[in-house]
Amino acid sequence: MESKPLLPKTVGIWTRPNSPKLIDAISIFDYMDGAGELYLAYRFDHLEAIEYQAETQKEILVELYFMKASEDAFGLLSLDWGGESVDLSQSSSESTAHDKSLWPRALYGEGLLRIWSDNVYARVMAYQETPESKQAVLELGRAIVKGRSKPPAPEMMKALPNALLQNWKVHRDRAGYFRSHLVLNSLYYLSHENILDLNHSTEAVTASYEQQDPSGNHARIQFLTVLYPNHEHALKALSHFHESYLSDYPVPVDSKPSEDMENTFPVEDGWLGYRLHKNRLSFVFECPDQESSKKIINQME
Amino acid sequence: MHHKRKALTRRDFLRGTIGATLGASMLGPKFTMARRAPAGASQVTIVRDQKAMDAANTVDPAVLKAMLDETLIKYTGEKTAKDAWGRLLMPNDTIGLVPTPHLNPTHQELVDAVKRSLMEAGFSEGKILNAQGGPDKPKACTALIGLPGLKAHWLTGIGTVMKLYIMYSGAPRNYHDENSAKLGEIWNYPFVTGKTKLVLVDALHPLGDKGPQVNPRYKWAYNGLIAGTDPVAVETVCLRIIMEKRKEMRGEPWPLSPPPLCVEAADKVYRLGTSNWDDIKVENYGWEEGLLLG
Repeated sequence: MESKPLLPKTVGIWTRPNSPKLIDAISIFDYMDGAGELYLAYRFDHLEAIEYQAETQKEILVELYFMKASEDAFGLLSLDWGGESVDLSQSSSESTAHDKSLWPRALYGEGLLRIWSDNVYARVMAYQETPESKQAVLELGRAIVKGRSKPPAPEMMKALPNALLQNWKVHRDRAGYFRSHLVLNSLYYLSHENILDLNHSTEAVTASYEQQDPSGNHARIQFLTVLYPNHEHALKALSHFHESYLSDYPVPVDSKPSEDMENTFPVEDGWLGYRLHKNRLSFVFECPDQESSKKIINQME
Repeated sequence: MHHKRKALTRRDFLRGTIGATLGASMLGPKFTMARRAPAGASQVTIVRDQKAMDAANTVDPAVLKAMLDETLIKYTGEKTAKDAWGRLLMPNDTIGLVPTPHLNPTHQELVDAVKRSLMEAGFSEGKILNAQGGPDKPKACTALIGLPGLKAHWLTGIGTVMKLYIMYSGAPRNYHDENSAKLGEIWNYPFVTGKTKLVLVDALHPLGDKGPQVNPRYKWAYNGLIAGTDPVAVETVCLRIIMEKRKEMRGEPWPLSPPPLCVEAADKVYRLGTSNWDDIKVENYGWEEGLLLG
């Protein structure tokens, strides 16, 4: 049984109330209208909000989002890799090999600390950053992760290679894990509708890749891959995508269903390539030419 | 069933066919009958003062009051703030102040300053209401003053002017996701249309990205007020400021994602004003550094 974060009654000059505010999937819209959808786009269980108060400084708000699994908490952190990576381990013995992984577990910037701690995504925010409040925020962060396990990043993140065709390098701070088109749209806009049939049973990752030409100009492509529960779901999603996004091209997916399918198309922002392989559907967008889009989709699993 | 309607996609934006797609296949005719904004350039006035907030981002009420007076005077061309209000409002108006309530909310100092300014102009306190909330709020008012906070929004791209009246719909969730394009229709509801006498944007401490909840890393001290009576023109100026700031943050163009459908739809479908930059006359006063108008 995973231990629940234990928050101190006082931290520095700040004190919390005895009980947290409890928010579920329905009351989250009262708590944060216009924002609840983000958490429900992942597998959300409940939220505990605790406001620390002090007489001489502004409040510190602690929000503990209890998700169904570690992957969902990771996904929330992955929406923004900005900030300073901080190590909240209490001692060197707590720093495991996982902490040396590619993905930070906690990020701090201008009063806000965001944490992925197993199935908890935490936001600890000082409404005014001061040396004292920063110290208190980090202390609260250490209390949140204390004694909790550190599972690795979702397996799906391994679907993002460090490089595509050797010369396209991953932009690691623009890589995200998600299950919903709402989140996809905040990372890379495709359509306001759910044209990839994403839901809580799917897992998806996207990242941008860059290369620099000899004159120093940067070019960028976008890689996206979705893992569906089964091949039928993936095939149906490809059909939906084709009908919505590539409506000016014939739909090739309903004539002879196959476990493997790949294709490339010229669209307004470059070449688009996709590959369907069993229950995985992968895309590359904005390729400069057909050859590179073909090579990249052939590199896909 | 979802396959029958034309989905708006990235490709529509790249082709420049959003307006046509929105108008023809997404929105339908409901509440699209608004009066067109008056011919000629829509005026938007920006007033900034570097001292509006201190280093801890605490608002200085005296500086803010001076900024408010200047905004009203410059926008209307009147000699005093009292005269400016007199030009914008009728003496017997019941005035609703409409601030942004959540997620980078409007500074209470601005709401208070506007209320005091109205009272100094002779409007009675009892006829100045907080009109943020459900449909009963605008119904109780004859005039509305929009006081939105400048911010990006993770579901609608921008969450400033067009989104301000979302609660008037009585069903705010109906205006999220692809339906965010329809935010303009709320401005044409029978109990809302024609009531907005001024949009005054709180651009003191805007939020440039990464909602839904505020991440202070994406806030900055713009120290400005932005005013106009064409809500779409005001939103378009706000959008320009946010886009320029995002470019500055990353050192390269950083488009809003998802794109702000509601702005072009407010112009092309709901005819609330203009989103064409060339039809907007921007006048700025005060602090010029970091104006972010491109």
